[in-house]
Amino acid sequence: MPELTEPVDLSVIIPVGNRLADPEDLCAEYRAGLDAIGRSYEMIFVIDGPHERFASALKEIAVGPHRVTVVSLTRPFGEATALMAGFEQATGRVIVTLPAYFQIDASELPKLVDALERCDLAVARRWPRAGGPFERLRRNAFHGLLKAVTGLRFRDLGCGARAFDRRVLEEIQLYGDQHRFLPVLADRKGFRVAEIDITQSPSDRHEGVYEPRVYARGFLDIFTVFFLVRFTKKPLRFFGMIGVSLFALGALLVTWLVVERLFFGQGLTQRPALLLSTLFVVLGLQLFAIGLLGELIIFTHARQVRDYQIDTVLSFRKDA
Amino acid sequence: MSFQPDLSVIVPFYNEEESIAAMHSAIVTAVEPLGITFEMVFVDDGSRDRTLEVATGVARRDERVRVVKFRRNYGQTPAMAAGIEQARGRVLVTMDGDLQNDPKDIEHFLAKINEGNDIVVGWRFNRQDKLITRKIPSRIANWLIGRVTGVPIRDNGCSLKAYRGALIKQIPLYSEMHRFIPAMASIAGPRIAEIKVRHHARQFGQSKYGLSRIYKVLLDLMVIKTVASFTARPLLWFSMLATPLALLGSLTLGWALWRWAATEAGMSLPVAGTGVLLLTSAFILFCGGVLGELIYHSGDVRDQDFSRLTGTVWSSKPHA
Repeated sequence: MPELTEPVDLSVIIPVGNRLADPEDLCAEYRAGLDAIGRSYEMIFVIDGPHERFASALKEIAVGPHRVTVVSLTRPFGEATALMAGFEQATGRVIVTLPAYFQIDASELPKLVDALERCDLAVARRWPRAGGPFERLRRNAFHGLLKAVTGLRFRDLGCGARAFDRRVLEEIQLYGDQHRFLPVLADRKGFRVAEIDITQSPSDRHEGVYEPRVYARGFLDIFTVFFLVRFTKKPLRFFGMIGVSLFALGALLVTWLVVERLFFGQGLTQRPALLLSTLFVVLGLQLFAIGLLGELIIFTHARQVRDYQIDTVLSFRKDA
Repeated sequence: MSFQPDLSVIVPFYNEEESIAAMHSAIVTAVEPLGITFEMVFVDDGSRDRTLEVATGVARRDERVRVVKFRRNYGQTPAMAAGIEQARGRVLVTMDGDLQNDPKDIEHFLAKINEGNDIVVGWRFNRQDKLITRKIPSRIANWLIGRVTGVPIRDNGCSLKAYRGALIKQIPLYSEMHRFIPAMASIAGPRIAEIKVRHHARQFGQSKYGLSRIYKVLLDLMVIKTVASFTARPLLWFSMLATPLALLGSLTLGWALWRWAATEAGMSLPVAGTGVLLLTSAFILFCGGVLGELIYHSGDVRDQDFSRLTGTVWSSKPHA
């Protein structure tokens, strides 16, 4: 339980994974940017995993007029969970998330926060952007794929700097690797999302090539979002479509085999095609059954997975 | 729940700034003489005009009005569902916000509900819409829906309907189900009545809901009917899917084994493989059924609740 602390305007959540810039420099720069906004704020560092030295380094710089909270997690839960753990400690009406290393020029933080007058969630887009042609290709492929899947155009979901109304996280339970796709999920929930150009930090240079794992991960993430966005409400449409096509293909093959057996005397015992066609039929049936199970989940939990969000209920009744 | 009026009138509005005040006074004029307590739930479905402002003004003057505000436009089903969720009345009446329905009809709906019906559906017998684009497609759609659901209603598209509050709040409403709320509700086994209602031509604004996507909706409906019918006994259903596979698999495998043991022909890999595949698949389907039981168990849609809502209890009076 958090102590009864005085609420502030802005809660700045900084999830710390394996990468942390020099805490003193980072804090100094962020503090300068946040001071320029001219509202009260607190900084919440969430250390995702047993990184004792990060925690002690951060506690040392905690002195100052603004509250600094350090949340230490015992094992690496992932950035989304770290964000939620930080959010539990947040008292501000506006939440700002910042990366634990230099991505953006912090002096432009006021621009990001001010954008909330026009929207519920502001995503920073590092622009103008450094990086070689390969890096640019990777980025464009990622965001192009995302647009094809969700219909939403974002240009820099890799940037961790975002500002949003606290209702966004009250309504969206992030888990796994969904923190990157928070803007997509927020848009689905009916929040207004805007992208704000922020100058890239000179220290944020990534030349060369990541490990292949990073690319595979990005692709799989989009895959997950695809399912979340398209089929969570209609599992049978997806599974049923594939299942029925497989079933039909298998059934056709079986029919052909049976016809050959009956009218042309072609024995079944030596035909591997028998195995293949049965596999199709059976697989089709299984997929259909999975779709039915999905529908069952939606049906029996419809009240928890409502597909609309009530913003407010206005009532001027005195007694209720 | 501290306050329960006799009646809640639920009206979704989408860009209907001209209609709200007229709608409000029409409802008040129609319902006040009946001498019952009532409330009005106005749902603003993310309108872009002054709908919310006007509705708030009405709510300020008349405390019986509550305004539910959506963050963006979600469509008619979510608007109705939100209204139903927020309404507190013993009887809920839903109607369109475009003045095509006449609140004077509410009286007859209430009478029908008091006769012991759970759902009363309006039938626009003198429908004031275009013949080709609205009336004929709707005729076909209603016939199809009647066939699929077994609930023959002449006019599913009429928004003017009355429900017993306790019943409709138990029905999961999602996707594009608003045209089929009676059909959806049929999973609870309600008594449904149909009465003729007046229907006026549009006075203000444009018609917002064309008749489209009927195919998708019918597909949804079929899924729901299937799911609703097997919800309470998934293991049985999945076992029924699995049994033919298990039988076929045993026969195939048995034949392959017999042939191997009794003749010189040796083991036929395709045939034995097919048998094993069929048996495995039957087993996986059975496991799916077990999973289904688990899902039903953890869900909040229970046949038992439906039976309690629509059933009646009679006990004999034992005499000494």
